[in-house]
Amino acid sequence: MCGIVGYVGHEAACPLIMDCLRRLEYRGYDSAGLSVLNGDLQTYKAAGSIENLAEVLPAEIDGNIGVGHTRWATHGVPNDVNAHPHCSSDIVVVHNGIIENYLKLKEWLEDEGYEFVSDTDTEVIAHLVHFNSNSLDLFEAVRKSMAMLEGSYAIAVMSKKYPDTLIAARKDSPLIVGIGDNAFFTSSDATAFVAHTRDVIFVDDREIVKITPEKVEFYDMDGRVLEKEVSTIDWDVEAAEKSGYAHFMLKEIHEQTRSLQKTFAGKLAELEGNVRLTELNLTDEQIRNIGRVEIIACGTSWNAGLFGKYLLETLAGMHTDVSAASEFRYRDPVMDENVLTIAITQSGETADTLAAIRNVVQYESSTIAITNVVGSTITREAENVVYTHAGPEIGVAATKTFTAQLIALYLLAIYMGRKRNYLLPDEAKDVIKALKELPGHVQQVLNQRDQIRKNAALYADCRDYYFIGRGLNYPAALEAALKLKEISYIHAEGYAAGELKHGPLALLETGTPVVAIVTKNRTYEKMLSNIKEVKARGAEVIAVADEGDREIGKYADLVIRVPSTNPLLSPVLSSVALQLLAYYTALEKGCEIDKPRNLAKSVTVE
Amino acid sequence: MKAIVLAAGEGVRCAPLTNTRSKVMLPVANRPILEYVISALVDNGIEDVVLVVGYEKEKVMNYFGDGNDFGARITYVDQTSQLGTAHAISQAIPALGDGNESFLVLNGDNIIEKETISKLIANHAGDATVLTTPREKVCGYGVVMSSEGRVKGIFEKPKRQISHMVNTGIYAFNRDIIAEIDKTEISERGEYEITHTLQNMVKMDRDVRVIVTKNLWMDSVYAWDLLDINARLLADCESNISDTSVVDESVTLIGNVEIGDNTVIRPGSYIVGPVKVGDNCDIGPQVTILPSTSIGDNVSLGPYTYILNSILMDNVRVESHSHVSESIIGFNCNFGPYSICEADTDVKIEIEDELVSVDKTGVIVGDDCRFGSRILVEAGILVGNNCTVRSGTKVDRQMPVNSTVL
Repeated sequence: MCGIVGYVGHEAACPLIMDCLRRLEYRGYDSAGLSVLNGDLQTYKAAGSIENLAEVLPAEIDGNIGVGHTRWATHGVPNDVNAHPHCSSDIVVVHNGIIENYLKLKEWLEDEGYEFVSDTDTEVIAHLVHFNSNSLDLFEAVRKSMAMLEGSYAIAVMSKKYPDTLIAARKDSPLIVGIGDNAFFTSSDATAFVAHTRDVIFVDDREIVKITPEKVEFYDMDGRVLEKEVSTIDWDVEAAEKSGYAHFMLKEIHEQTRSLQKTFAGKLAELEGNVRLTELNLTDEQIRNIGRVEIIACGTSWNAGLFGKYLLETLAGMHTDVSAASEFRYRDPVMDENVLTIAITQSGETADTLAAIRNVVQYESSTIAITNVVGSTITREAENVVYTHAGPEIGVAATKTFTAQLIALYLLAIYMGRKRNYLLPDEAKDVIKALKELPGHVQQVLNQRDQIRKNAALYADCRDYYFIGRGLNYPAALEAALKLKEISYIHAEGYAAGELKHGPLALLETGTPVVAIVTKNRTYEKMLSNIKEVKARGAEVIAVADEGDREIGKYADLVIRVPSTNPLLSPVLSSVALQLLAYYTALEKGCEIDKPRNLAKSVTVE
Repeated sequence: MKAIVLAAGEGVRCAPLTNTRSKVMLPVANRPILEYVISALVDNGIEDVVLVVGYEKEKVMNYFGDGNDFGARITYVDQTSQLGTAHAISQAIPALGDGNESFLVLNGDNIIEKETISKLIANHAGDATVLTTPREKVCGYGVVMSSEGRVKGIFEKPKRQISHMVNTGIYAFNRDIIAEIDKTEISERGEYEITHTLQNMVKMDRDVRVIVTKNLWMDSVYAWDLLDINARLLADCESNISDTSVVDESVTLIGNVEIGDNTVIRPGSYIVGPVKVGDNCDIGPQVTILPSTSIGDNVSLGPYTYILNSILMDNVRVESHSHVSESIIGFNCNFGPYSICEADTDVKIEIEDELVSVDKTGVIVGDDCRFGSRILVEAGILVGNNCTVRSGTKVDRQMPVNSTVL
C-alpha cells in the first residue's frame, strides 16, 4: 500500500525523489519522508500529504543518492515518528509490505540493546541490517537480514559508510528499477520515475539489487549474479495528469470512450462471430475439459468477477464460482486440474489475489490473470494473461479499469463459448456488434452528466442509498453501491432485487433513495414489481432505464436514460451512469474524491 | 514564446456536427482541427500552450490530455461565460506564468501549417502584430487595412469590399495588452472583441503592425466546407499500413492509402487514395472507397458498400450495399443495408434562416443517428444528432435534433 522510491546518479537527489513521491502519492498518503546521503545522512518526514513534507524540507539539500517513501498505515498511527525512512545509527531503510515476525525480532533486537522509537515493523529492518552490518558489508548485511525476515517487503537501504551505494530487495511486494542516463531509479511502481526513464528492469522475489552511480547489479539470495532483461514501459506517465479535469476520477470516467476500445482492439472478428485471444496458451482440449471456473478477486474486481460468472454461464455454459481472494485462501476449496482459475486484479499486485493464485498452483490447473498493469507480479504468477489496456488509473475508486475488466470478460466468455461450441456464431456476432457500438453509447451516457449531476444533488444528504438489479444488473448494482460508499461515505448497499423481501425492505424509510437498474432484459417485469414494492415503503426510486422505455416513467421518481443495446451489454452503460452519480454525489458533499479516507489504490498488504 | 489558443466556442454554423462537440474538435483527415494548430505551434518551437476551453470541453481535454502526445505542455483555462475573444484572452494571460515575453493568440478552429505563423513569430515588434492573408472573396471575414506594415483599421465583416486582406485571428501581443483589453468596451453583440481593442489601439496611434502570410489558413464556415479541407489535407497523406492491420492479398490499393492499427480490410475491396482509415476498423469484403475519404476509428463497412469523397467519424457502421458520397457522417452513426446518402451539384441549404448555395455536396449527419435499411437521404439534407430513421424512408427535409422519421 505504501510506495518506496530510490535514486542514485549525478543530479541533486532531493527534488527528483520529491517528484517521484508526488507521482506515487495515490498509493498511500498518510505520511511521507525522504533521506539523502551526502557524507552525512539527512532525513525529513511529515505526517499528511507530500506537500507537508515539502514544507519541512530546506531549500537545498546536497547529495546525489537518496530514498523516499509515502506511507499508508498498517502498523502504528500516521505521524512523523512512524513515517519512513527509519534509521538505525548509520543505516536508513524505506519499506513497503508487512514483516510478520517483527515482534519476535523486535524483542531480540531490544535484548541486543537497540532502542525502538516507532511502532512500525520497518524499524526492525533498520536495526536488523545495522546489527548484521557490524560484521558484514552493507550488501551482505541486507542479504543476511532478508533470510531472517518473514512476510512481504520491497526495501531500499542506504548507509553513511557507503556513500555511493543503494541496496534494494523484494519479497512479495513490487519493486522496479529504472535505467536512466547516468542515473538509476527504484520504486514500487514505474509511475514514479517514468517521466525520467522508460527503460526498466522488474525485480523478482528474493532478489537483491546493488545500485551505484556507475552500474546496477542483480543478485539472488545466495549472492549469485543474475542476468536481467530490460523492458520498456509503453504508457505515458503524463497520461497520469489531470489534464484540465477537476479530479482524476472524472477524467478516468470520461476516458472510457477510448479505453474500452483499447481493451478489445484487434480482438473482434464480427463477420466470423468470434474473438481472437492469441495471448491465451490453452489448447482446445484443455478448454473443452474445463469442468468449472473459479474467479478470484477483491473489491471492484470481485464485482467484475461476479459479472464474469453470469457471462461465462450465459455465453459459454460454464459452471462458475466467484471467491473473494481473502476467503479463498483460507477456505478448503474443492479444486482439481480441470478447474480454470481466473484472477482479476487491476494493479496485478493485490496481495490476497496473488496469494490465492499461488495456492492454486498445486492443482496443476490452468490460470488466467486479468490485469491492467503490464509486468505486474500477477503476470508472472498466472499461466495466461489478458491485459485490459485501460492505461494508468490514479483515482482510488476504480472506474475505467472496471469497465475494461468487463470487456475482457466478454471477450473471454465469447472465446470460451465458441471454443466449446456452446455459443453459436450468430449469437456471438450480435454481442460483438454491440461491443463495437459501446464506445459511442458510453459517450451518450457521458453527455447526460449535467442531468445526473442534478439528480445526485437531490440525494447527497441522504444517510443510506440502495442499489438493486437482477441478472447482470445485480453485479452492476453492487459496483455502483461500492463506488458511492468509497468516495461519498454514504452508507450504500447493493442487492439482488429479488432478495429485498428477505430483509432489506425493513431498512427502507420515507425518502430513502433506491437506484433500480431496470434496463430491458428477461427480468424487466419482475423489476417493475420490485420498484412498486419499494415505492410502497416510501422509498424514492431512481431508475436507470433504456432510452426507448416509455413505461418506466410511471413507476420511478427519476429516470437516468442509457442507450438501448444488447441486454448483455447494458450493465456497462448503467455502470458508467452510476459512476457519474457517485462522483457528483461526492462532489456535492465536498469529499476528497481521488483519495478517499482510509483507502488506497492498490492493496498490496493482506 | 508561449501561445494562447481559443477553443471555447461552439461554432453554430457548423451544426449539426457542432451540436455535440466544439468546432475545434471536428475531424479532418482523421485529426481534429485543433491538432493542426497545436502541431504548427510545436513545429515552431512553441511548446507551452494555454487552451481556453468552454463548450464541450471534456472532448478537448480527453483528446489532448496534458499535451505530451503532441509534444506540447497544455494548460487549460475554463471560460465559463462566453464574453468574446478579448475576455477569453484576458482570462488566459495569467496561465502564461510570470515574465514579460510576448505571446501568440490563435483561433483553434482554423487549419494552419508550420509556415503560416513562422514569419509572425520571427518578426513581431511594436505593441501588437496582426497576421493577415489575402483572399479574393472576403465576405464573412474580418478585414484589415494597412499601410507600410502598420494597421490603419480593422473591420468586422464589412458590407463593402474595402480590402483583400483577411484577418486570420492570429496575433502576437506584448504582455501589456491586458491594460488595453481592460479599456475595451462591450460590443453590440454583447461581447468584448479583441478587434475592438486593436481598433482602439490604432486610434491611439499605438504601434500595431501587420504581417501577411500566403501559407495554409483555412476556415470551415459551414459543416460541408470540411470536405474541401479534408481533400486538401489528404493530398499530403502518404501510404502507410500499420503492422497490426490485416489487408487481404486480393485488396487493391491505389495511390496513397493510410491504414491504422488493428484494422482489417477484407478480400476484394478496392481503395483509391488519398484515403485514410483509422484504427480498429472492419472493412469489406468488396468495399469500394474513393478519394478523398477519411474514415475514423472503429468503423465497420459492410460488403458492397461504396464511399466517395466523404468523412466518416469514429464508430460509424454502414451495412452492406450502401452508398455514401460527398457526405459527412458524425460519430456513432448506424446505417442499415441499402442506404444511400446522395450527392448533387448546386445545392441550396437553409441554415440559420439563411439560404446558402453549395456547388456540390451530399448529406451532413450529426452524431448518434440510427438509420434502418433502404433509406435515401437527399443531397443537402442536414440530419441533427440522435435522430432515428425507420427502414424504407426517403429523407427529403432537414431533421432537427432527436427527431424520428417513421
